[in-house]
Amino acid sequence: MAEIRTRMGDGSVVHMQPDEVRRELENGVADAAKKAKIEPLTDEEITRLYDMIADPKKVVSVEPGNELVLSYDSMPMKLNRVGIPIERPNLMKVFERGFGADMLECAYVHYSIKPLKVNLSEEVAFFTESLYGSIAPMVYGAMPNMGLYTKPDGPCENPSELLPLGKIKEAQEAQMEAAQYLHDDIMLTASAMYEAGADGFNFDTTASTGDAEFYAVLTAVEKLVAKYPEIGIEVGLSGDFIFGFHGEVEYKGKRLAGMFPHNQLKMVEEAGASICGPVVTTNSNRSYAWNLARAITMTKECSRVAKIPIHANVGMGVGGVPMCVTTPIDCVSRSSTAMAEIGKADGL
Amino acid sequence: MEKQELFQEAIDAILNCDPTAAVDIATKAIQFGVNPAEMLDQGFAAGIREMGELFGSGQAFLPQLILAAQTMQAATDILNVEIKKSGEVQNRGKMVFATVAGDVHDIGKGIVVSMLGTQGIEIIDLGRDVPIDTIIEAAVEAKADIIGTSALLTTTMVQQQKLEEELKKRGIRENFKTIIGGAPCTQRWADKIGADAYAEDAAEAVEKVVAMLSARG
Repeated sequence: MAEIRTRMGDGSVVHMQPDEVRRELENGVADAAKKAKIEPLTDEEITRLYDMIADPKKVVSVEPGNELVLSYDSMPMKLNRVGIPIERPNLMKVFERGFGADMLECAYVHYSIKPLKVNLSEEVAFFTESLYGSIAPMVYGAMPNMGLYTKPDGPCENPSELLPLGKIKEAQEAQMEAAQYLHDDIMLTASAMYEAGADGFNFDTTASTGDAEFYAVLTAVEKLVAKYPEIGIEVGLSGDFIFGFHGEVEYKGKRLAGMFPHNQLKMVEEAGASICGPVVTTNSNRSYAWNLARAITMTKECSRVAKIPIHANVGMGVGGVPMCVTTPIDCVSRSSTAMAEIGKADGL
Repeated sequence: MEKQELFQEAIDAILNCDPTAAVDIATKAIQFGVNPAEMLDQGFAAGIREMGELFGSGQAFLPQLILAAQTMQAATDILNVEIKKSGEVQNRGKMVFATVAGDVHDIGKGIVVSMLGTQGIEIIDLGRDVPIDTIIEAAVEAKADIIGTSALLTTTMVQQQKLEEELKKRGIRENFKTIIGGAPCTQRWADKIGADAYAEDAAEAVEKVVAMLSARG
C-alpha cells in the first residue's frame, strides 16, 4: 500500500506505512488512557483519526454543522510577531471580521499578570478603545506566569535554585509567597479590566509554574466570580498534568499536582470559571499520529465530564500539533477537525 | 540475606525518600559482601529510574524527586568508599551545564543536574540564559569532559547549533562531548547540528552522560 505522508512531533515530514500509522494511533490512545486513567478511544474513533491522517489533502476540515467556536489566545501578538504592525483596536477587527474569531482577546506583548500591573491604566485605555469597534465578546488576557515573582525577576526566593540544594520547605514557602502576590495582582488587573467593560478575563497557560500557580489562579477566579457574578472567565491550562513543583498544594481538598486535563477541568469548574481550555502537550520525538491520538483521547474525556464549555488548545506544541516555529497547516487542520468530531470540544 | 532482597530494599528506600534507610542498606550490603558498584546500579540507581518514571507520569513530584536524589547521594557516599578501596572506582569526569541564552527555563535542567550529581559527576551549573561564549569559557577553564545544554523554546534551540559551530570555529570541538535536551529537541536535531548525544529526560541524560564518560576511557 502507498505510504502516508505525515509528520513527527517536531514538524519533520515522514512517510509511514498505513499499519504503522494505525499502530502509532493505538499507542497514543493507550498512553493517554494509561497515564490519565481514562477510557481509550473506540476502534471506530481510531479509524476516523486514521482516515484524517491518511487523507491526501493538505487541509482537512469538519463536516458542515460541526464547526467550533474560535477563541484565540495571545491574539494581538499573533500578527505583530510576524511583522504586521496593526494597532490593537484594529487588530481586534481583523480577528473578528477576517479570521472568524467568536471571542476576542486583547492583550499586551508581555502577556503576563505582573507587568500588566505597571501599564494597567494605559491598557485599560487601549482596551476600551478596542471595545468600541467590535461586536464579539471581548476579554482581556494574560498568563499568570508566576515565575516573574521569584528572583531575579521578583521579590520571592527562586524555588528552582532552592530545590537542587535540598531546601524543599523553603522552596515550597517561596512558591506560596509568589502565589499570594500573583493572586493579588490577578484581583487588581482583572477587576480593572472588568470594570472598564471587559466581558471577562482569559488566564492563558495557567499552571506553567506548577501546582502553586494553579492554586493562585483558582482562588482568584473564585473571588472574581463572587465579586462580579456576571464575569466570564476562561482558564487555559499549560500541560497534560499539573507539574508538582510544590507537590502538596490542595484546592477544595484535592491535591493539584499530577492532575490530568479532565481533573484540571473539574477544579476550573469548581472555581466558577465559564470556559476551560485543556492542553495536551506534544512530544517532539513521537509521531503526529501518536500525539494526535493522545490529545484527542484526553480531550474527549474532558468533554465527557465537563459542565462548562471546553475550548481545546490547538497550536504550536499542543493538541497534537508539532512543536516547530511555523505550525504546519496539515496538522493544525487535522487536529482541529479531530477535536470537533471526536474530542467533542465546544471550541478551540 | 539475598542480594536481590537488598536491591529491592534499596529501591524502596529511594521511592520512600528515606536517606536513613538508604545508609543502613548500603552498610548492610558492604557487610554481606555485595559488590558496591552492583548495589548502586541494580539497587539505588534502579530506584532513581523508577522514581523518574513516576515523575514522568505525574505520580511523583519535584520535591520527591529531589529527596530521592539526596537519598541516593547518602547511599552513594558510603558505597563509593568501598568502590575506591576495591580499585573499581571510575573517574566520572566533569560536565558544564547551562540553559542557553534567551531561555530562562531551568526547572528541567535543575532536575538533570540533581540526577547527574548522584552519579559522582562534577557538574558546573552555569544557570539559565547563558551566552555561548560563557559556556565555552567555563568548559575550557574547568577542562570539562562534557558540555550539556538545555533549551525549552523553538526559538532558543538554535543556540545549541551555534554552540557546535563556535566550538568548531575555535578548533576545540574535539575536546568536548556535547549533549542536548529540552522539549523541542530531538535526536534528529542532535544529528543535524552535530551534537554527540540527545536525552529526552533526566534518566536518559544520566544514562548517556555516564556512557560517554565511560567510553572516554
